[in-house]
Amino acid sequence: MKFVPYVFRSLFRKKTRSILTIASIVLPFFVICVLGTLLMALDADTSGGKGMYRLVVRHKVSLGNAIPEAYRERIAQLPGVKDVTILNWFGGQYRDNRPENMFARFGCEPESLLRIFDEVTIVEGKAADWTSDRSGALVGERLMKRYGWKIGDKFVLKGDIFPINLELTVRAVFRGSDETGVYFDRKAVEEGLPLVKGQVGTFWIKAESADAAQRLPRAVDAMFENSSAPTKTETEKEFQNGFVSMLGNVKAVVTGISTAIALVILLISANTMAMAARERVTEIAVLRTLGFGKPLILTLILAESLLLSATGAFVGLGLFRIAFPVLKEGLLNSPMAGFAAGMQLFPEVLMTGVGITLLVGLVAGIVPAIRSAQRSIPDGLRQVG
Amino acid sequence: MAEPLIRIENVVKQYTRDTQVLTVLDGLSLEVDKGEFVALMGPSGSGKTTLLNLIAGIDRPTSGRILVGADEVSSMSEGALAKWRSENVGFIFQLYNLVPVLTAFENVELPLLLTRLSKAERKKQAETALAVVALSDRLDHYPRQLSGGQEQRVAIARAIATDPALLVADEPTGDLDSKSGEEILVLLERLHSEFGKTIVMVTHDPKAAARAHRLVHLDKGVLKEDVRAKGEKGEIGVAAAAAIAAGK
Repeated sequence: MKFVPYVFRSLFRKKTRSILTIASIVLPFFVICVLGTLLMALDADTSGGKGMYRLVVRHKVSLGNAIPEAYRERIAQLPGVKDVTILNWFGGQYRDNRPENMFARFGCEPESLLRIFDEVTIVEGKAADWTSDRSGALVGERLMKRYGWKIGDKFVLKGDIFPINLELTVRAVFRGSDETGVYFDRKAVEEGLPLVKGQVGTFWIKAESADAAQRLPRAVDAMFENSSAPTKTETEKEFQNGFVSMLGNVKAVVTGISTAIALVILLISANTMAMAARERVTEIAVLRTLGFGKPLILTLILAESLLLSATGAFVGLGLFRIAFPVLKEGLLNSPMAGFAAGMQLFPEVLMTGVGITLLVGLVAGIVPAIRSAQRSIPDGLRQVG
Repeated sequence: MAEPLIRIENVVKQYTRDTQVLTVLDGLSLEVDKGEFVALMGPSGSGKTTLLNLIAGIDRPTSGRILVGADEVSSMSEGALAKWRSENVGFIFQLYNLVPVLTAFENVELPLLLTRLSKAERKKQAETALAVVALSDRLDHYPRQLSGGQEQRVAIARAIATDPALLVADEPTGDLDSKSGEEILVLLERLHSEFGKTIVMVTHDPKAAARAHRLVHLDKGVLKEDVRAKGEKGEIGVAAAAAIAAGK
């Protein structure tokens, strides 16, 4: 402990350089935290564990292909199935196609939807008002705030793929994982577009147990394997991650970027520590003349390197904590809301970020530290400046 | 007869530069008594600083033995030598070599950090050392806030902080004006006479060498002359030092 003041003062002997180095650690650290949090959010369970009992059945070829509504009865009869509901993506547009006006719009079966997504709570209006009104809309709390809607307000969704305009009335407001969605009775679409009647985008199953949830995908898919509309059944998490994988191997990309960032911090810190050690060749020789042994010199330089990276990490951590709510809020109000819902200050991400930065500080300090400790004292004393 | 503190026995020091072997000290033998104030003189490249480094245990001879007190410093391990230096030798450099980010007090405290002394004890000892060099009013000053002479006095305080028996000084006045240089020499004399320190000082300056009680003249790595002042408190004298330095 008695050497701490020396280490601390040494670190800040060139204030501008140290501050710039710390800043150049803070920024990559911040990016690592953001990327890591997004990555963890993709895997996060926002349903409070209830999502693990939910399965999604869709056409084996793609989500663009419909499956017959008649499958519903056959699925419901399978052992282990507690409930089944239908969710049909509608698309369309609200006002225009600008990103700020993008949100999820689904035709559904109101009553069974609420049974299957039972972690969702109605915070305004009444569920019964929505389920009994064919043109009623269940709207996410966040979307309500975005547009300043109130219960009873009307809005129009202009159809594009499904060429029908839906005039909907806000009947209830929900709070749940993705609070930017609008859900309405699918019959509203079927009545205006008889062509789509009996066609389903996805069935959502609620399994009776974890064991059933594991067993059912194979059972459902086997049942329709040789039909004209074979199915693909997967867990809710797999289904959601399928969207992410459409972007490519996101995990590999994020890991790659994070590794590159860690290397950048390493190079910056190593450069600073090498410069600091080079400038202090004489000073280190003097310390050794005074009796500072090689292990102590090594420790002091490594401590300085670690302190540099730790300062960067903790400043970055503080900034990330401050910026996190703003970042999350921004994403929750964007088309990324579904993925942002699982965002939180994951301790694993923060610890990994700090760990990487400290490790980098240690590695960056090792070479200059060993060099300084190995140089002969007379050589060090001969070097001026 | 005073007992020898330093015994240098047939020491050879060679450096290898590329394929060339350079002999800096060539079979040198010398004894320095406890409490002596010795000036090492000689032309550049004569091996003065190398000899000083060997005595202080910051370099090792190629062959031969160096004993300081009962310790054979030429055969100590690196770790043992570092510990030995911290307890037995105070080093004064030509360019002071203070740590610029530490105050005068903290610079003097540095060697004490290697001891088992408590914080209060370290404070007392560092303050005492700074009082000896008359810098009690500069404890919180950084090296950049001190004059060259004051910096060298801080460096001397650092050298005596652990109360070593041996002080080695490499051109301690070489970077100072004559007034400050004089002050440093007076201080070294005081450390020798009042505190009984054994001092080995490398210098080119006959005025500085004149303050010593013994003058060892090296040339091309061998002992050329070894002159002792007459009388217990005698000094070499400027004229004699200048003549020896000039090789007359």
